[in-house]
Amino acid sequence: MQVESKSRSDLAGTVTAVVFILMACLALWDTTSMTDSDSYVFPRAIAAAMIVFCILLIAYNFIKRPADEAAGGTGSASTPRRVGLVAAMLGASLVMPWVGFLLSGFCAFGAIMLFAMYDPWTGRRRIVFPVAGLAIVLGFYTLFSKVLLVPLPVGVWFR
Amino acid sequence: MDILRKIGATTVVAAMSLAAIAMISGVPTAQAFPDKPVNYIIPFGPGGESDITARHQQSFFKEKFGQDLVIAYKPGGGGAVGWSQLNGMIGDGYTMMGINLPHIVVKPLQKDVGFKTEDITGVYMFHYTPDAIVVNASSDIKSLQDLVDYAKANPGKLTMSGSGKGTANHLAQVRFDKMAGVKTTYVAFKGTGKAVAALLGDQVKAEWGYTSVGAKHEGKVRMLAVAMEQRHPKFPDVPTFKELGFDLVSGAYRGIAVPKSTPEDVRVKLSEMIGEINADPEFRKRMENDGMALLDVGYKDLNAFVAEQAKAYEEAAREAGVIK
Amino acid sequence: MTGLDYLWQALTPLNVLLALAGVVAGTVIGSLPGLTATMAVAVLVPITFSMEPASALILMGAIYTGAIYGGAYAAILLNTPGTPSAIATTFDGYPMAKRGDGDLAITLACVSSVVGGLIGAAFLLGLAPPLAEVALAFGPVEYFWLAVFGLTLISALSEGNLLKGLIGACFGLLLACIGVAEISADIRFTFGSQVLLGGIETVSALIGLYCIPVMIDLVATPDRHLKVTQQPRGFRLKEALAISWLGKFNLIRSSVIGTLVGILPGAGGSIAGLVAYSEARRSSKRSAFFGKGEPEGVQATESANNATVGGGFIPTLVLGIPGTPPDAVILGALLIQGVRTGPSLFTENGAIVYTFIYGLILATVLMLPAGLVIGRYAYKSIITVPKAILVPTVAFMTMIGTYAIRNSISDVVIMIVLGVVGWFLNRFGFSPSPIVLGLILGRIAEQGFVQAWTIGAATEDLTGMFFGRPISLVIILFTLISLFYPLIRKHWATTGGTANAG
Repeated sequence: MQVESKSRSDLAGTVTAVVFILMACLALWDTTSMTDSDSYVFPRAIAAAMIVFCILLIAYNFIKRPADEAAGGTGSASTPRRVGLVAAMLGASLVMPWVGFLLSGFCAFGAIMLFAMYDPWTGRRRIVFPVAGLAIVLGFYTLFSKVLLVPLPVGVWFR
Repeated sequence: MDILRKIGATTVVAAMSLAAIAMISGVPTAQAFPDKPVNYIIPFGPGGESDITARHQQSFFKEKFGQDLVIAYKPGGGGAVGWSQLNGMIGDGYTMMGINLPHIVVKPLQKDVGFKTEDITGVYMFHYTPDAIVVNASSDIKSLQDLVDYAKANPGKLTMSGSGKGTANHLAQVRFDKMAGVKTTYVAFKGTGKAVAALLGDQVKAEWGYTSVGAKHEGKVRMLAVAMEQRHPKFPDVPTFKELGFDLVSGAYRGIAVPKSTPEDVRVKLSEMIGEINADPEFRKRMENDGMALLDVGYKDLNAFVAEQAKAYEEAAREAGVIK
Repeated sequence: MTGLDYLWQALTPLNVLLALAGVVAGTVIGSLPGLTATMAVAVLVPITFSMEPASALILMGAIYTGAIYGGAYAAILLNTPGTPSAIATTFDGYPMAKRGDGDLAITLACVSSVVGGLIGAAFLLGLAPPLAEVALAFGPVEYFWLAVFGLTLISALSEGNLLKGLIGACFGLLLACIGVAEISADIRFTFGSQVLLGGIETVSALIGLYCIPVMIDLVATPDRHLKVTQQPRGFRLKEALAISWLGKFNLIRSSVIGTLVGILPGAGGSIAGLVAYSEARRSSKRSAFFGKGEPEGVQATESANNATVGGGFIPTLVLGIPGTPPDAVILGALLIQGVRTGPSLFTENGAIVYTFIYGLILATVLMLPAGLVIGRYAYKSIITVPKAILVPTVAFMTMIGTYAIRNSISDVVIMIVLGVVGWFLNRFGFSPSPIVLGLILGRIAEQGFVQAWTIGAATEDLTGMFFGRPISLVIILFTLISLFYPLIRKHWATTGGTANAG
């Protein structure tokens, strides 16, 4: 994404439109398995409209040289940290059924803390931050599971 | 340390303000089972009829067995999300889930929804809400005969609202149309509340509802007939379909199931416990007052009962085009 | 005023305490993304068994109204609407917070919520039975047109590239179809996957599409989350009151819209805020600033969504048809206590109803001090907590909150994936709001359309069904105005040469 910064020729928009067309076709194909007209009329109409809009967008992008569209300024933004955040969250939710909510929550919290850390790890922070993390996770865990009675996953490994 | 305190305080404030009002006095009594709260999962959202009946059971459970019955919701996929996960839960008797007919029969027949009807270990079917035909109190349709006459004179023009498709309402409509030799138009709404609103607002001519609709909207609606073996104690003046010559006894049946791994003795014990609640006269009175009908199908007879109902449902669902 | 003698019954020490506790708990709950009023009220149901019906209602109503206000915090400070009714709060609230006016936005939201809540409750008190008839006059086809009206907001929300807005809306509309269809019960677009069987839950989609992109960008740079100005400036209550006084017509109009739209069962809560926002924007002299941190935008949505509380109770109490999901839970709790709703509730059970309504008003008034204090606290926490704590905390909150909505891990995974998709789409010029609009309104539009079509076809009058009903025609008219108003305005501007809006 770093490539298109300024005066991009909305290539990304065109590619996205193509992806959306493919998605709409997939949706149209899926509607053939529906028997009730109540079920397929609406999604078919929407998928068709989507294809039309996408084709229009692609055509528009070809015909008109797009004006400068300022994307969110990337600057010195760190992609590894972004990927790390998403990976930590996704990873934690995927292993949750096995290791349980609390443990995966601690791990995700710790990992994301590392990705979000820009200040130097001074001696004080080394202690305060993890302790704060522990307290927050435990606090929310207690609020949800004990007060609000949400059945949070226990984890198959710890039954 | 400032940060720590703040964050700590936030959670504490949150927990405390809730805990302050959520204080339930729990005095555990010495008993073999249950010796801790039992989780009761409703595979629908809060506020629906499945929730309300579970809430009725809740206070009696606590009174009789000394433990809390903790109700949690797992809505999604018309109940299928909950049922498909039931057998993966811990089978120690402290986890049970509400089950509904015809849902557990019809859903797996439509597509792969992650469970089959026979995967579900039911322990008790405790009540059903009988189907009923309801019209607006101001309607000129006064009796079931009026309705049939109107439908015969105007094929397809009699619009009837109802809750969802492949549901008790819808299947009853299909079966009744066939018995009476008429053609009516079924308009599916999301939930009974919206179906009633359509009736009260004269958007449709009649509704395939439940006896509970008659109880909840007394005075605003008129029930033409109820799909029960005998008349409902709350509505002694409303005839059954059987009396009027249509062999229709149907409704939304509700019961309780446990994970497959639950030991046999616990299943039997749970079945007895729910039966005990069902036998409580005060419980019966409350349920009947809400327009429900009680049912006692214990663990031993449950499979036969479901199988028998399933046949009728499957036929109607195929006819309705809900399943291929 | 009706039932004034019940005012004193509402003012017992216990009820005042319950109202205060409810508002505080509700505000805290509402501020956590994913924790909904529905859930909080449902947890309380067993406790209310042992209470007087009126006290139980006051407690639940207070939590509900507090939670709706609390949703403004996450919307303003984290760009995360906790409920569909707070979506439009993010449009101006978050830009305000970004530029350092988060404290003002929160105070403004508090004042607006109180005004909206009071106006909604006043309608409930005085006009409930006749207004309930409005809910009944709305048939399927009206819901369909209302959803279409809501969708026209896309044209306003996707300035610069209407096509991308429309494509985004279609994407949202298709997402809405995933899972078991709400009325036809068919299983759509799951491709055999158990994860998708439950469909895309609206609130988790909101959290994913709005909050995750903010987190992704937050973690990528060392910059502070919100701009912080020099010194703490207290509540900025004076400033907020001055703005509120200037925007009094906006507040009143938005509150009335919120109440009236809120009466419509099912659709009202999510649409009211959007309708109020678009009307505020259309009639404002400062419409060009909307979406860039305009206080009027925050006022409009926040007053409207709190007015839906009173509005939603109208069909709930008069007809026994719940207006919103929390109403459904409250109605259930009442049924269990043996209280029958209906028009007779207002005459025979006046003690319960009027005590409750006065209690609701009391709770709304108490929301002013409680909301200001909690809001100040929330703002200070967000701006002072270092990034290395803030980001994991919010990420963790989104996960546990999303899980708790339906006790489903699939929802958490869907939320994160949608967040990543939304981040990419946003960079490519597809903003999240049209997608969300499609997702929410898609269900309403589809149901309304299918039902209207079925009824119209049965009565052999499809044209009359879609274009022959008075309320429908009014909504269609509004839709056309909202679509073409920018053009008309431009026309006036060029011919008149007076309008000089930035």
